[in-house]
Amino acid sequence: MDGETVLDSLKAQFPDAITQSEIDPKPPYIVCANVSRDRIVDVCSYLKDELQFDRLSGITSVDFPDANKFEVVYLIASYEHSVMVKLNADVPRDDNPSIDTVTAVWWHANWYEREVHEMMGIYFNGHPEMTVLVLGDDMMGDWPLRKDYEMYPGRVDAKYPYEDDNVSIVGEWPLEKKPWPAKRYYLE
Amino acid sequence: MVNKHDVKRRMRQLMDEYIHEPQQPDYVLDESEMMVHIGPQHPIQPGPFLIDLKLKGETVETAKLYMGYGHKGIEKILEGLTYIQGLPVTDRICYLSALSNNEAYVSSVERLLDIEPPERSQYIRVIMQELSRIQSHLLGIGEYATDLGFVTMFLYMIREREYVLGLIEDITGARITHAFPRFGGVREDIPDGWREKAVDVLAMVNEKCEMYKELFSDDSVYKMRTVGIGTLTKEDVIKVGLTGPALRAAGIDYDVRRVYPTLTYPDIDFKVQTAKNGDIFDRVMVRIAEIQESCWIIEQALDQMKPGPLFPEGLPFGRRTPSMRVPPGEAYVPVEDPRGEMAMYIRSDGTDKPYRVKIRGPAFSLMQGLPPMLENVYIADVPAIAASMDSCNSEADR
Amino acid sequence: MAKDIRTPMQVITTTTSAIHEFLKRSPAQDIINWGRKNSLWFLTQPMGCCGVEMIATGCAHYDTDRFGIIPRCSPRQADVMVISGYVVRKYFPTLKRLYEQMPSPKWVICMGNCSISGGPFYQSYSTLQNIDEIFPVDVYIPGCPPRPEALIQGFVELQKKIKAKTDKGTMYGVR
Repeated sequence: MDGETVLDSLKAQFPDAITQSEIDPKPPYIVCANVSRDRIVDVCSYLKDELQFDRLSGITSVDFPDANKFEVVYLIASYEHSVMVKLNADVPRDDNPSIDTVTAVWWHANWYEREVHEMMGIYFNGHPEMTVLVLGDDMMGDWPLRKDYEMYPGRVDAKYPYEDDNVSIVGEWPLEKKPWPAKRYYLE
Repeated sequence: MVNKHDVKRRMRQLMDEYIHEPQQPDYVLDESEMMVHIGPQHPIQPGPFLIDLKLKGETVETAKLYMGYGHKGIEKILEGLTYIQGLPVTDRICYLSALSNNEAYVSSVERLLDIEPPERSQYIRVIMQELSRIQSHLLGIGEYATDLGFVTMFLYMIREREYVLGLIEDITGARITHAFPRFGGVREDIPDGWREKAVDVLAMVNEKCEMYKELFSDDSVYKMRTVGIGTLTKEDVIKVGLTGPALRAAGIDYDVRRVYPTLTYPDIDFKVQTAKNGDIFDRVMVRIAEIQESCWIIEQALDQMKPGPLFPEGLPFGRRTPSMRVPPGEAYVPVEDPRGEMAMYIRSDGTDKPYRVKIRGPAFSLMQGLPPMLENVYIADVPAIAASMDSCNSEADR
Repeated sequence: MAKDIRTPMQVITTTTSAIHEFLKRSPAQDIINWGRKNSLWFLTQPMGCCGVEMIATGCAHYDTDRFGIIPRCSPRQADVMVISGYVVRKYFPTLKRLYEQMPSPKWVICMGNCSISGGPFYQSYSTLQNIDEIFPVDVYIPGCPPRPEALIQGFVELQKKIKAKTDKGTMYGVR
């Protein structure tokens, strides 16, 4: 069982739900795919029943306020073979973002979904117990990991205001040797 | 810069208005039922969490676990720091095995940057990981022994652990929080004279592990308390989704060093330790066997290592990485922590700070699997079962 | 609320407390202080990374028992509370309750950067900074984490403070 067989059988079974799939060329050779949010439970049960993916590694979420969406990421692995699958599902960023729960497929998805809910505000339909896990009771409703949550005035977040923003310049960085950092780190 | 008075004002506001006690749910109790809280501070716990036990007579009917008493918000903090500034913060996620957390973070960022450390750095990283595994297992088994009342074993293991920490300190300079790997290599090379000292210390640890195995297997009272109690069969373990020694004690042969090999683990010959039943006795025996296996791995790595450079040629940003920009993408590289599979899912957007970091720790699933294990169990067995899982509370809470 | 704990003052209500107040101003207090400073029992409360160093200090190799310092598990049997690690908002009511359960005279030691000023987590929405505005702290031990020798030196400084009668644990002021 390797990544290509998994990807081919997924694409054959769900031709309309799986888009933009690829296999990572570097180890651990993860099979990445985008899933539409209505069919997530079908895809996950197919993965568990037919292709023996019986361990869920984690569920996370990423916030994109500019593109007006959340992305929920599922990382799925197995005890029998060494293929790992990563599914990205888009959830629109409106007043009640929600997606179906996968606790019927994997029992241990319970706490991961609770944590995503209290950090980002995405509701999981059908979850048995949607309460706070890691935060205190008074912080439910704050959604701390969203990009518009202000921790303290003056905090600078990931979008650092450079002039040449959004351009990756690894490989063209000017190598000027400034005197004071050179004393701290070891040179050749 | 942050205004100090604003911070103080907000802090006082928080303390006056928002801090109130967490609400416990109200159960309906019969005459013969009782509620026992093993509260946030308790002698058996290595870190704060709360377990509510509903007892009927002496057996536990249901158990419920509340965590979050050590939540620091590391994922949000890492979004505001550059990649190299975030490296010491990842040390403090699980303080008992700090080098595995560093390794997971650095491997993911190296995958995004598309660089690979040279061979000598990989061997040094393997050696540090195995040393960290030895000292974490020694402390874990020692704390489990304290919860049973076997305090002598704890003091023996702390004595060995101090020698191993001395070895780690000779290379990295710190006992617990190291920040040792760098993007593309490691910070320091092995000093002279370390190799002979390591061989002596590891021979001593190996010999003491034989003594511990005998101590644990010959005592009949200890066996009455641990054999057949807190069993997790293969189906239970797969349902809960565990990794690490708790999984291998049930008989499943799954180790991240074999399944997703990174660094130089394919060149090193080692055996994955398993056991047959999944009870408390087996989990402790698997950990002691893993200590001995790690000693063997370190000896092989020391023999196979050749002199060479620590960083690859032609790094675009040099070895100083304060404002290094990482190309956009996602990366996930799993690493074998002493407790299971540890990984960080890093999402970058081309700037010098990560966009989203998700820390996938093994202790989260260990804590999730604890309440179903405690059903229909005598209350006197609860400390032994909870401590034999060896979960690190600060890693689950982050 | 916060002000009352910060400046502990003895209120004379009973005969026993009046006797204690009389003794505090007499030379007998030196002997009482000598007894107290040589047997400081601390509460094991591992909250963070400094908790592991606190446990390692109490065991073999860096033995604190030679100074008379023993780790105790219950707050009712402890003299010193070592705030070892970050203080999280969810855990803070527990910390206050533990402090109130300790019988006086009681002292507080702040161990590590996280309890002094926030440490590496000062930018967080979930930790509290500046704990010394709530608890009367006697000794601050900086470090992240401080070495076990630094913790032993912290206890020795507390012993010197008790001998010089400048500590906040025995309440020398009268209201």
